[in-house]
Amino acid sequence: MKDSLVLLGRVPAHPDSRCWFLAWNPAGTLLASCGGDRRIRIWGTEGDSWICKSVLSEGHQRTVRKVAWSPCGNYLASASFDATTCIWKKNQDDFECVTTLEGHENEVKSVAWAPSGNLLATCSRDKSVWVWEVDEEDEYECVSVLNSHTQDVKHVVWHPSQELLASASYDDTVKLYREEEDDWVCCATLEGHESTVWSLAFDPSGQRLASCSDDRTVRIWRQYLPGNEQGEVHYLSCRGGMQRLLTQWKCICTLSGFHSRTIYDIACLTGALATACGDDAIRVFQEDPNSDPQQPTFSLTAHLHQAHSQDVNCVAWNPKEPGLLASCSDDGEVAFWKYQRPEGL
Amino acid sequence: MASPFSGALQLTDLDDFIGPSQECIKPVKVEKRAGSGVAKIRIEDDGSYFQINQDGGTRRLEKAKVSLNDCLACSGCITSAETVLITQQSHEELKKVLDANKMAAPSQQRLVVVSVSPQSRASLAARFQLNPTDTARKLTSFFKKIGVHFVFDTAFSRHFSLLESQREFVRRFRGQADCRQALPLLASACPGWICYAEKTHGSFILPHISTARSPQQVMGSLVKDFFAQQQHLTPDKIYHVTVMPCYDKKLEASRPDFFNQEHQTRDVDCVLTTGEVFRLLEEEGVSLPDLEPAPLDSLCSGASAEEPSSHRGGGSGGYLEHVFRHAARELFGIHVAEVTYKPLRNKDFQEVTLEKEGQVLLHFAMAYGFRNIQNLVQRLKRGRCPYHYVEVMACPSGCLNGGGQLQAPDRPSRELLQHVERLYGMVRAEAPEDAPGVRELYTHWLQGTDSECAGRLLHTQYHAVEKASTGLGIRW
Repeated sequence: MKDSLVLLGRVPAHPDSRCWFLAWNPAGTLLASCGGDRRIRIWGTEGDSWICKSVLSEGHQRTVRKVAWSPCGNYLASASFDATTCIWKKNQDDFECVTTLEGHENEVKSVAWAPSGNLLATCSRDKSVWVWEVDEEDEYECVSVLNSHTQDVKHVVWHPSQELLASASYDDTVKLYREEEDDWVCCATLEGHESTVWSLAFDPSGQRLASCSDDRTVRIWRQYLPGNEQGEVHYLSCRGGMQRLLTQWKCICTLSGFHSRTIYDIACLTGALATACGDDAIRVFQEDPNSDPQQPTFSLTAHLHQAHSQDVNCVAWNPKEPGLLASCSDDGEVAFWKYQRPEGL
Repeated sequence: MASPFSGALQLTDLDDFIGPSQECIKPVKVEKRAGSGVAKIRIEDDGSYFQINQDGGTRRLEKAKVSLNDCLACSGCITSAETVLITQQSHEELKKVLDANKMAAPSQQRLVVVSVSPQSRASLAARFQLNPTDTARKLTSFFKKIGVHFVFDTAFSRHFSLLESQREFVRRFRGQADCRQALPLLASACPGWICYAEKTHGSFILPHISTARSPQQVMGSLVKDFFAQQQHLTPDKIYHVTVMPCYDKKLEASRPDFFNQEHQTRDVDCVLTTGEVFRLLEEEGVSLPDLEPAPLDSLCSGASAEEPSSHRGGGSGGYLEHVFRHAARELFGIHVAEVTYKPLRNKDFQEVTLEKEGQVLLHFAMAYGFRNIQNLVQRLKRGRCPYHYVEVMACPSGCLNGGGQLQAPDRPSRELLQHVERLYGMVRAEAPEDAPGVRELYTHWLQGTDSECAGRLLHTQYHAVEKASTGLGIRW
């Protein structure tokens, strides 16, 4: 099983510090990393090795917690503990900070671009999730401030094709949001995890949402639209006796007993997912080909102990090159892996 | 439990306004026995403490208790600001004062005055299916029944807020050349907005905020200064309650700027939300529609009090509309009959322009709700705010939709809000300049429109708040 995940290389991305997060650009040619040293580094290949092509160092006063590329690949957003979010514009190998988004009361924990490229979401320890809109002149305006969570919000992620936003929190829940009339509202709360939900990932089709938690489980959630074949029907009994069909999310699979510590990050491919764990290991799970899509089962196909010398904070699949996985850790390093689908699966 | 305060205040961290103190000063009385030597203490399995005397005898020790009330009475080291505000200003407090009055000797009694906001009245009217006039009269009847002496309408004090805002704008518009921070002028009636501005943007934004007091606090001045004099009482002998559509008003009432040092009394002692008045009605077993209507009280004898009055320009006081029309008249000699609003990115962000021959003379906006306040403030910071005046309110849809208004679980909230807005709009609007009693008060109570008295009683100041850095302030 170990052979299915092979180390390609390591780089000391954020020496003497933690590397918190990684993001591949949509073309799959660049990897952005960010860390406790307040810097963002952009990595690209030169032959067989990965080299640092740019260092973005003047943007933040404190740890940079997450980075995210815009769908067009020309912008990078960075979320920082200094309570701001920077938007960087790419000009070949140079990045220029074009805007700083302010407003959160304290540490910004995550940032994510909507598939349209016009909307951005941020979340913070101040328990709120903000939706921002960008216009043609690169001006950002706050569109909504959502106070649904009761604790620190750790992660936000957009659905791959719809304008649907998901957030994960220290309050043990996942919440979903969409636009209704001229404001955004929380349209679903996913309960089930028994501790902090650290990260979320939609699968490429957008039909499923995976969440990982301090409770050492991964949960897979599925969206049931009104009129679905499974007969899952949920109504919202409105005031005035009207009833409205809702989309509902149900937990269709729980992966427990595989992780010995907190799971900090999860990354999805079609039929597979990778996890980053506080026990320094990286795991890959594959969906069993004959399992019922409504109640899927997953098998552990790769378990790399000591992938790093400390907590693994992030795992990210390359969007273009199948099986290429990047990971980063509290040890400050970024590692590149090749995942081979085991025979028979 | 979800916080009842406005979105702006929720994100602002109230504890920085009412700071917890490091030391509990609550003295715990313990009987001291004479004796020397050190006592030993033994802890039993059940957690109780026994003192073992030198002669071997034991004595069970009492637990030191500090109740919530003790905490609230002191500066409150472990109690959060929200709890302090909500518990210190509640309908329970009002009942205590009224009960105390019943038992007290005449010289110890306090005169109890309740000032009701038009927004709260509209909310109650909707709930009880009454028109605003009947609601006002029956509320007066109810309060007097439980021992309140006078019931006023904050629409009266609002005349002063609007007039002062109008004057201030014209003055600042004319003085633009001399002062870069003169404009935009931002409305000051909403405490959720004020506290957010003080905490988050401090010295940058504060010079732009109007110094005119809100109707609640003008009423505070009216009741504790003018009315007190009329009644030959010192201000501390009056217990002034206001009925407001939100919880943020409780924070406004507790601001040090509205505390009278000389008489050690607040201008507004207690703010009750519409919901708390509703609970009071329930607890007293009173059905509002069944009450006999009582005549309305008035602060000045000249004013007729047959029915309540209000102002044009929406349910948040009408600041934009009044300042706009007054400025158009004063600065450009233009009479504006109807103010036309143009919605921008959402219905809580609308603008109004005065144009002449293709030139924009006045550019005003209303920005309600936290997201619009954010955008306004960010634009201001970048020097890209095109407005001369902005009516800023923390709650989406304004005060009629405040966090303390009555909810109706059996009705869609939008429909309820529209009903409340209709009832609010039914009340006859008055121009502040023409309102009976206002001019006389400026002359006799304030000694003129721009007097030192007017400045002190109708205006206030703002203070940038530093983020608290004590460990106790951090909520993990």
